[in-house]
Amino acid sequence: MLRRLLDRILPPRVFEERPEPTAVFEASRPPVVRLERIVKRFGAVTANRDITLDIHAGRILALLGENGAGKSTLMSILSGRYHPDEGRILVDGEPTRFSSSRDAIRAGIGMVYQHFMLVPTMTVAQNVLLGQEGGFLLAPRAMEARVDALAQRYGLEIRASARVAELSMGERQRVEILRLLARNSRVLIFDEPTAVLTEPEAGKLFDALRRMASQEKAIVFISHKLEEVLSIADEIAILRRGAVVDRMPRTDVSSKSELAERMVGRGIALQMGREPAARGEVVLELEGLSGNGLEDLSLDVRRGEIVAVVGVAGNGQKQLVETVTGLVPPEEGVVRILGREWRDFYAQPRWEETLAYIPEDRLGLATCPELDMVDNVLLTTRQGFSRGVFLERGRAAQTTTRLVEEHNVQPARPRTQAGKLSGGNLQKLVIAREFFRRPKIIVAEQPTQGLDIAATEEVWKSLLAARQGAGILLVTGDLTEALELADRVAVMYRGRFIDVIATDDEERLASLGLLMAGVKE
Amino acid sequence: MSIELLIPLLAAAVQSGTPVLFATLGELVTERSGTLNLGVEGMLLMGAFSGFFVCILTGSPWLGFVAGGVGAMLLASLHGLVTIVFLGNQVVSGLALTILGVGLADFLGQPFIGQKVAGFSKYALPGLADLPALGPIFFRQDALVYCSYLAAPLVWFLFARTSLGLALDAAGENPKAAKAAGLSVASLRWFGLLAGAFLAGLGGAYLSLAYTQFWTSNLSAGRGWIAVALVIFAFWRPRGAVLGAYLFGGVMAFQLRLQAAGANLPSSLLLMLPYAMTILALIAANLRKGRAGAPAALGVNVEPEE
Repeated sequence: MLRRLLDRILPPRVFEERPEPTAVFEASRPPVVRLERIVKRFGAVTANRDITLDIHAGRILALLGENGAGKSTLMSILSGRYHPDEGRILVDGEPTRFSSSRDAIRAGIGMVYQHFMLVPTMTVAQNVLLGQEGGFLLAPRAMEARVDALAQRYGLEIRASARVAELSMGERQRVEILRLLARNSRVLIFDEPTAVLTEPEAGKLFDALRRMASQEKAIVFISHKLEEVLSIADEIAILRRGAVVDRMPRTDVSSKSELAERMVGRGIALQMGREPAARGEVVLELEGLSGNGLEDLSLDVRRGEIVAVVGVAGNGQKQLVETVTGLVPPEEGVVRILGREWRDFYAQPRWEETLAYIPEDRLGLATCPELDMVDNVLLTTRQGFSRGVFLERGRAAQTTTRLVEEHNVQPARPRTQAGKLSGGNLQKLVIAREFFRRPKIIVAEQPTQGLDIAATEEVWKSLLAARQGAGILLVTGDLTEALELADRVAVMYRGRFIDVIATDDEERLASLGLLMAGVKE
Repeated sequence: MSIELLIPLLAAAVQSGTPVLFATLGELVTERSGTLNLGVEGMLLMGAFSGFFVCILTGSPWLGFVAGGVGAMLLASLHGLVTIVFLGNQVVSGLALTILGVGLADFLGQPFIGQKVAGFSKYALPGLADLPALGPIFFRQDALVYCSYLAAPLVWFLFARTSLGLALDAAGENPKAAKAAGLSVASLRWFGLLAGAFLAGLGGAYLSLAYTQFWTSNLSAGRGWIAVALVIFAFWRPRGAVLGAYLFGGVMAFQLRLQAAGANLPSSLLLMLPYAMTILALIAANLRKGRAGAPAALGVNVEPEE
């Protein structure tokens, strides 16, 4: 039934056959840069699988994909930070090998990173021309004039004599762009450039991008925001789970919902065979939760059910999770956890039979990479291993050994540092630890992102089994995951639940793609 | 205080401030490039000994002066090896450098204790020396003091007007930005470390070849630490380094005069004065807000690319 449903929501043509490694575009000219069959692995994880992509001068190419889809890795390969494991890069048709970002810059490929690489104490002109001042002695006036002229040519409004520390984020970004232009970059890569910008600043950036494209620069624009991509791109490539699943000219996309469907898509089709579980008491209650980017969220989660929160990333999912897990207090409205008010609940947190959180950021938020598995298990369970002021490390080690075996964490040595585990095994360790607390409510955030099929299946099984004792709030960007696991799906758009649909309601599920794009009939 | 007393006092202030000025400027260059080198005290003493030894050996005080700088550079290259090549802890390595430098100079200098050296004598600059007040204070000194007058503007010029200075600043403020601009952060930091050590070594050579003109143990008497503190006082600016060094020199000269005049105070208390003054100056300097502070990446090691 599920398969049929999925087929209806997301026609399989989108990805069942991978596009041929030829350009979708009938280009009148050869591409400036061609990525050919690029493969990049990090340990067991394949970040890029067999990607072929052409980048043309005078065009804006948007790389669209969820977090972890492999966009940033691909662009890091193009900008010389990583070496591909397989495949090659052709610049002007010539195979080229970059051994560092310096080589890429020399070949005319530059990247504007999300975290700006600027020296705040220096002026705009000094930052732009750092390393190519033109002579040993500095001529500040001439440098500023050069930068001003460059800024004017591309419509990037900035004062060259200003100190970077005094600039807004948008202005700093312009400095980064000018630095690439000053080095005669022909391909400019922007990694989520609007993430740090206000709306008017983003508008100015888009104007500048068009202007650069009209002056024969090739622009690569990485984003997961659909509106942006539709408004700026000439060509769109969609990445999912490390592969380019779709490529099309902008003109072929008729609507945002179409794009949303293609982007979120269907990951791996596993048949979980979900048994219904008995519903119990309400464990999580949201009533008109607003503020901090959220708008009037109301939802009940009962023991025995999984409620999935889906939507394109950046529509308030993060804020919702932060509020429910106690990181950020609710501004307006009521959050009731296990029948207690938010403030009351987090004033005296218990270590067991409480709320367990499986964060998206496994290495940063969920674990300490330098500590071994035993200490990482103790991070959230230490109260269970305390006797007065003493910690029962022996017992903790035994418990960890047992958990590691039960959840099939590899390598099964509890003294292994968490940072040495693969993504899937680390996630299994986090799940083992959190489930050991016998939670009554579980908040799982992107629990299978970046995991391979086997690990994904194990995580899904664990979550389904956990329904016996807990209600689960599953926040995911993967529709398959939501439909496989959840009893209800809450679609988030711009901070609100645009709709909540039971997963056995096929009629209404068919409009998921539209809902994610904010369209509700 | 009458003018007849004040002018010699200020002249003495310039003289005793000179080694500190060299050392402070040196540490300033090193820190602006992002390396914290707490081995200044050790470098001063190694500079003092190398200068003294080469001067005795060759009879040329100028060769000795340069040798002082080179001796300190050799010592500092250990710090570079630990921190720039092997990415070791800069604080620990710097402290070790001081202990090593002090011990080594003491050990090598043992046979020479009390020995005199024909160093630099005073030389009145024709014309300038006859200026009222300024002449006796600034222009009837030895040649090394005149060198120190050039050092501060040179350091200022390096950072304000040359691309090398800009690159050094980038390496100290944001090594990633420097790397993204195609600069080699490691080379820049080596340059900053060695150039700074050379200057510190010159300060050491001044101590043995001009200030005392004989060898004794612990010639530097903590001036290296003063230099580290004065860099902070100076907010990493050459002008502040000049001010701080002469302030320290002034109090140093003042307490010596006070002792000589037979003031009814314990000498150890007077000896403490310049150091206490440095602490006070440091506190005062940190109370001023809204000024540029330390280089953002000071003390942060940089992994070589790939």
